[in-house]
Amino acid sequence: MINLSNWLPVIWGGTIAGGSTGLLGVYIIGMRIPFLGVCVAHAALAGAVFGALLGLSGQMLMLPALAGAVGTALLLGTLDPQNVRMDTNVMLGLLFSLTMGLAFLGIGLFAVYGISDNDVRNLLWGSVTLCRWRDALLMTGAAVVELLFVAAFYKEMRAIMFSRLHAAAAGVRVTFVWTGFLILTSAVLTVNFQTVGGLMIYSLMTNPAAAAFQLVKGHGRALVLSVVLGGVSGLGGFLISLAANLPTGAMIVIFSSLLVALAAIISRVSRGHT
Amino acid sequence: MTTAAVDISGLRVSARRQEILRLERLSVERGEVFTILGPNGAGKTTLLKCCLGFVPLSGGELVVLGERVGRLSSAGLARLRRRVGYVPQVMAAHSEMPLTVREVVAIGRTGIAGLFRGLGREDWQVVDEWIQRLGLGPLSRRAYGDLSGGEQRKVLIAKAMVQQPEMLVLDEPTANLDLFWREQIVATLEELYEQAGLTVLLVCHELEVIPACSGRLLLLEAGRATARGRPDEVLTTERIESLYGSGLNVVHCGGRHAVVPTGERQA
Repeated sequence: MINLSNWLPVIWGGTIAGGSTGLLGVYIIGMRIPFLGVCVAHAALAGAVFGALLGLSGQMLMLPALAGAVGTALLLGTLDPQNVRMDTNVMLGLLFSLTMGLAFLGIGLFAVYGISDNDVRNLLWGSVTLCRWRDALLMTGAAVVELLFVAAFYKEMRAIMFSRLHAAAAGVRVTFVWTGFLILTSAVLTVNFQTVGGLMIYSLMTNPAAAAFQLVKGHGRALVLSVVLGGVSGLGGFLISLAANLPTGAMIVIFSSLLVALAAIISRVSRGHT
Repeated sequence: MTTAAVDISGLRVSARRQEILRLERLSVERGEVFTILGPNGAGKTTLLKCCLGFVPLSGGELVVLGERVGRLSSAGLARLRRRVGYVPQVMAAHSEMPLTVREVVAIGRTGIAGLFRGLGREDWQVVDEWIQRLGLGPLSRRAYGDLSGGEQRKVLIAKAMVQQPEMLVLDEPTANLDLFWREQIVATLEELYEQAGLTVLLVCHELEVIPACSGRLLLLEAGRATARGRPDEVLTTERIESLYGSGLNVVHCGGRHAVVPTGERQA
């Protein structure tokens, strides 16, 4: 018999992480910039590392992590690929290597100054099974802000996802909305990151959206299905891990990958019949 | 203030410390179909992008629909762009998400609808009306990425038209299309001119694309205007041969224009 009160925040956290990153994934995968998640995650890590070096610990590390992630997002938002003559993915690659370099420099300094790096290691790897109500509620708050943003800028995000040039040509305030989305992405990923870990975030951001794109056409449908599949990945992976006594995070990642494979098969079969 | 749709004086554009476009005077009247023709790299796309504020000017004055483009704030530029329907040269690297044709056309209403409000019933009526007018009805629920190049180009024209623009700007709208689709697009431009009577700024490098309703033409070469006037006056065999090489004969028929190789081409 499992103790539900212990597992309830884990179930809730996993489902919310899946749903909220699944929603972000629709835009990030839709715009073919999956590297954004890794880049923001490492920027958050670099921020947390230097925060820890300055003496912060525990939940307080969230602040420098958020500052690192949001700073990177602002930089990305203000750099117009046309003006800098560089594809967004190339910019992301450069920023990713820079933030990773900074993070590892900071980690190296822990040994130099003889400071414990346990808090930072927890942030890097995270574990959904250690999710408590405080974390789950924070993740829920981030998810609510995310929903409000998407509701407010639904049509603008659809235009930007199609093409930033077309959106700008139609008179959409692209820099304003795009920078807002990047800041939101940073905040949501940073909040989820320290609870569920980088690998799970990356897979939950990519897989539900990729599966949804296989199964439905249209912005709204893809958005809803991706959120549902993200939530199902979090919940389903957790239940499988509990039943089979396997690592939870790994099962969520594998389960969400299987959902993509299943969606691809369904898509091929249904196309074969039309 | 000028009443012309586009009024240019002493326009200069530089890139990497080189002047790539220089136009002393150009005026495009409202309700006119004006063609800008020239070989690749002549500065045609740059000129269009200047009109929309996508490329900064290094000198001169450019007035589009009564707005001094170089002096507009980003909000002012967004307002101007809502009045201009733009069909870019490069096909959009369409999203990984399978957006439907109806959704892509609706992008044209996004800026007009304004921030913090969704598209209303009227917006969708305009979207559906243009989908029908351009014969895209049967495709409206299909994914944009599943369409042919010609169909996609028509969708982008519909997207520009749902802005109910005062001016339509088209950058090589028939590039990479076969003869059937080229003629479809030219016929669409003729229809738009007759039905909507809007100003059209058309950029192309093929004479065959110029619609019969285009009354004036500007020939651009290496960032400089080399000729302007009525298409049948400007597009002479001598001028085309000097641009593209010898052994070419220009034919004018029913307001349309074509280049026919004579078989005597010299390298």
